Amino acid sequence: MEKKSVFQSAIERGVSRRDFLKMCTALAATMGLEFSQTDKVVNAMETKEKVPVIWLQFQDCTGCSESFIRSSHPTTESVVLDLISLEYSEVLSAASGHQVEEAMEAVIEHYKGKYILATEGSIPEDGIYCMVGGKPANEIYERVAKNALAVIAYGSCSAWGGIAGAKPNPTNAKPVTAFDSGDTPVMIVPGCPPISEVMTGVIAHYLTFGILPELDGFGRPKAFYKHRIHDKCNRRAYFDAGLFVESFDDEASKQGYCLYKVGCKGPTTYNSCMEMRWNGGTSMPILSGNPCIGCSEDGFWDAGSFTERLADIPLPQKIATVDPAVIGGVVTGVATAAVVAHGAATAVKKNIDDKKNTHEDH
Amino acid sequence: MKKKGLMDHIFGAHNYEDFYNPKRQAKIKDLGDGKVKVLVWELPVRIWHWVNFLAIIVLMFTGLYIALAFSSARFETHATDFLMGWLRWVHFVTGFVFMAALLFRIYWTFVGNRYTTFDIYKPGFIRGLWESLKFYIFLPNKKPHTIGHNALAQFAYWIFFGLCSIILSITGLYMFFEPQQGTHFMMNTYILGWVPHVFGNSVKLHIWHQGAAWGTMIFMVAHIYLAFREDYLVRE
Repeated sequence: MEKKSVFQSAIERGVSRRDFLKMCTALAATMGLEFSQTDKVVNAMETKEKVPVIWLQFQDCTGCSESFIRSSHPTTESVVLDLISLEYSEVLSAASGHQVEEAMEAVIEHYKGKYILATEGSIPEDGIYCMVGGKPANEIYERVAKNALAVIAYGSCSAWGGIAGAKPNPTNAKPVTAFDSGDTPVMIVPGCPPISEVMTGVIAHYLTFGILPELDGFGRPKAFYKHRIHDKCNRRAYFDAGLFVESFDDEASKQGYCLYKVGCKGPTTYNSCMEMRWNGGTSMPILSGNPCIGCSEDGFWDAGSFTERLADIPLPQKIATVDPAVIGGVVTGVATAAVVAHGAATAVKKNIDDKKNTHEDH
Repeated sequence: MKKKGLMDHIFGAHNYEDFYNPKRQAKIKDLGDGKVKVLVWELPVRIWHWVNFLAIIVLMFTGLYIALAFSSARFETHATDFLMGWLRWVHFVTGFVFMAALLFRIYWTFVGNRYTTFDIYKPGFIRGLWESLKFYIFLPNKKPHTIGHNALAQFAYWIFFGLCSIILSITGLYMFFEPQQGTHFMMNTYILGWVPHVFGNSVKLHIWHQGAAWGTMIFMVAHIYLAFREDYLVRE
C-alpha cells in the first residue's frame, strides 16, 4: 500500500489548495481550536498519511453510521476520502463477503498498532447473539482492538450498552469497555446517535496531534462532553425565572418557556448539542420545542418516559418506572399515618395501665 | 471491670455506663433530695440541633420546588422573574450550612461528652436494640431507663440520619459543581471525581439525592413523634 499524505490524496482527487485550507479551518473550529492554531492542522494534513480505520458494527441500528455520513464540517466525503482510509465498514465498503474480511486481516497485519478501530453497537457477553463472518462479536472485537492504536466507541450502545442493553437485556449486551482491549486506549463518544461533527472531530483531533483528545472520568472527550445541555440551553433564562411549559400545546410552549416539566433531561445530560447543533448546525431538539431525551447518558432508555423528568425507580414488574418524589411522598404519608395510629395506641395503653395501677393502689 | 465475652457482648445488660470514657462525663447538677439533673445535651449540641432543623426545613421546601417546579406558568412576565434561580440559590447556601453543621457534629462526636458518641461496638447494644423495639411495639420489655439515646434511637441516628446526611452532602456537592465538570476539582479522583463512579451518572445522582432527602423526612416524622411520646409516657 502506497503512503500518501492527506494533502496529496486530496489534491489528486481534484480538491483545490484553497478548498483544502477551508477544510482545515473547519476542522480546527470543530475541534474547538483557536483560529491561530489552524496552521497546526494544515501542517498535520500536509505531512501525515491517512489513518486506516476499521469500523465494526455489533448490536446496533446503523444510526451512528447514518449520523457519521451527514457530517458537514468537515464534509463526509472529505473525511472518508481524504482524512481516513476506511478499510472495513459494513455500510460503506464496496466489497463484501470474504473479500472485505480479507481486507480487514490485511490492515491488522500491515498496520498493527497504527489503525483506529471505530465500533458501533453493544456486544453480547456470550458473543453468540451477534455473529459477523461466522465469528462471535466479542472475539472479533478483542482481536481487532488489541492490535489497534485506539478504539473509538461511537454511540450509546458501544459506550454504555444502549438500547440492546436496556431492560430486560435478553442478550446480556455490554458496552465495548466491558471487553478486553489489551493496552489500547478506548474513547467513548456517546449519543443516540452522536453528533456527526463530534464523530469526525475526534478523528481529526487524532490526525492533528497524534494523540486522542483529553478524556473525562468516563472516557468521553472533554471538548464535547464537559457541559450539560442545561448549562448551555437557550431556554435557561425561563428555567431560572420559574416559567415552565405544562403541556405541549399550551400557551407556555408557544412562548418557548422551559421544557423542564415536560421531561427535559437537559439538566442531567452531558453533550454538545447546544453548541454544535444537528444537521450542519440547523437545530436541535430543545430549539424545536421538544425536551432533551438524554440519549448520551448511561441507561437513558430505562430512565422512564421521555416526557417525565426524573422517573428512574423501577416498579417490580420492571416495565414501568416511577418518580422518586411520588414514592417519597407516599412513604412519608404512610409513616405519618403510622405515627398517628401508634400515638393513639400509646394513649389507649397508657390509660389502661394507669387505671390498672389505680385499682391496685386501692 | 470484669472482662466480657462475646455472648455478653450480644445479649448482656444494656448498660454502657461502665464503658464510657470517664473523662467524658456529662455535667451533673445536684438538685438535693437525692435527685440529680444530668445535663446530657451540651449547648453546642443543642445549637447544632436547631440549626440543622431549620436547614432541613428550608432545604426540603426549596428542594421540592426545584424537583417539581409546581408554580404554574404566567404570561405577564417581568424582567426580575427569578423564582427558580432564587430558590436554587437559597437551597445551595442552606446546603452549605447543613454540611458545615454536619462536619461540626462529626467533630463533636470526638470531643463532646459521652452522650454525643455512639455505642454500637459496646456490650449489650444488640440486646438494647431488641428491648427498645419491644418498648415501641407495646410488648412487655426490659428496656432500661437510659440517659441519652436508647440503642434503637442511636441506631436510627447513625444509620438512617447520618448516612442520609452524608449521601445528601456528597451528591449535593457534586451536582452543585456539575457546571464546572471539566475542572480539576471535578475530575480529580481524590476530590469529587469518584462520586459518579459510586452513585452513577447525573440522573442516578439526582435520584440518590431525592431518596436520601425523603429518608430524612421519614426520620423527622418518627423523631418528632417519639420525642413527644417519650415525654408523654415518662412524665410523672
